[in-house]
Amino acid sequence: MELLERYLQAVGEHLPARGRQDTLAELRANLEAEIEGREDAAGRPLTEAEVAQVLEAHGMPVLVAARYGPQHFLIGPQLFPFYWYTLKRSFPWLLAAYAVVQLVHAILESSSGPDLGQQIGAAAGHFPGVALTFWGVMTLGFAAFEYAQGRYIPKLALPKWSVRDLPPLETGEKRPSMVNGIADLIVSVLMIVWLLAVPNHPYLIIGPGAKMVHGMPFGVTPEWHVFYWQIIGLLIAMLPLKVAMLLPPLRRVRGWLQLAVNGMGILILVVMVQVRSFFVAGNEISAENLRSLAGINAGITLGFKVALAISVVKFLWDLWKEITADRNRHTSYATVR
Amino acid sequence: MGPTIKDGVNGTGGQGGNELFDSLRLELRRGCLILAVLAQLRAEHYGYTLRKSLAEAGLEIEESTLYPLLRRLETQGLLTSEWREEERRNKRFYRLSAEGERILGLLLAEWNGINESVTRIVAGEEAVVGDGIAVGER
Repeated sequence: MELLERYLQAVGEHLPARGRQDTLAELRANLEAEIEGREDAAGRPLTEAEVAQVLEAHGMPVLVAARYGPQHFLIGPQLFPFYWYTLKRSFPWLLAAYAVVQLVHAILESSSGPDLGQQIGAAAGHFPGVALTFWGVMTLGFAAFEYAQGRYIPKLALPKWSVRDLPPLETGEKRPSMVNGIADLIVSVLMIVWLLAVPNHPYLIIGPGAKMVHGMPFGVTPEWHVFYWQIIGLLIAMLPLKVAMLLPPLRRVRGWLQLAVNGMGILILVVMVQVRSFFVAGNEISAENLRSLAGINAGITLGFKVALAISVVKFLWDLWKEITADRNRHTSYATVR
Repeated sequence: MGPTIKDGVNGTGGQGGNELFDSLRLELRRGCLILAVLAQLRAEHYGYTLRKSLAEAGLEIEESTLYPLLRRLETQGLLTSEWREEERRNKRFYRLSAEGERILGLLLAEWNGINESVTRIVAGEEAVVGDGIAVGER
């Protein structure tokens, strides 16, 4: 019976200390009865090979011991769908936040630090580590919640929900893409950062030509800071609206949020149209350059006026479509009821 | 002794088919095993004799599945157990508790309901298949 003793010892190594002796005593009684049953059937004592066969059929010690313990999991089946949903939903946000932070850092450091391309490459190389850390923290958070519920906090109760709160049926309309929305948000943030950086880093707008600006016979109007800050303010005000457009609970009002963003875009054009003179003459300017300057200002203003007219027409068209779609949704809902 | 239900690969149809069958079969057996164990423990047994009596009734269960299951059912209050000496050996005897009796009654009612429904569904399908052949033969 040395094999049986060795087997029980191996199983015992993987059993929790609490109740170990009790479990091993029961296992011993059952295995001895099994061996005796076979001996009775054979009419002779079992050989060592036959005893080994009985024990091997019973299972690998670590697996046998595991079956006596409680079921182990980091995140249980009830919590797992929420964990997975949170991971899936938060990953694009992590990517967006990381991209914005790294790109802003790269732009601000590009004049003194390493090459912009090198910085972007390094940031991309570090992302897997950041994503892994994020995944680990999320998993640990959910595992801690799983452990605590029922012990220290009440068990997770499913939130009350109603089918009537679900987003309206998207018929015929292309579902807005989350990736496009996040890309739009990133571009908007970068645009603001770029505009904020331009006054101190003129090369960001005209590249190496910035050094030649000082020798030019005309310059930017001294009132630039008025419309500049108005535009920055409007662009920043757009950001919360663009974030809201990405939130699933606000999907039903996405069309109206988009209209609000477009409306702010129109306000930017209104500001630009009101400027009229973008460039003013310097102290030593020829009559020919003065005429050219007037032409440039008039051309820019005309361009903004045309853009404003097109944007207003498009805005009114979108507004009409949204009102019609809203009315149709209410009509079809009433019909279903 | 009737046909025996035992662990292992049955049927034909490649390794993937066998794996799928084994996994579905395991799922199907899981609840049935608990029902059979509870029903068998209306009379007192210890692990080895319980396994033998279930096997004789046509339901073979691996020791490594049955023995931990007994402990779990006891923890859940469905079984009671006591250590007693029999044939010069200490053995742990299990039997159904009062709560176990109640739960077994409910489970058996559920089992019979499911069994009748599945039988009706399968019989209905066979009738439909039979009608289809009859129509095709006309």
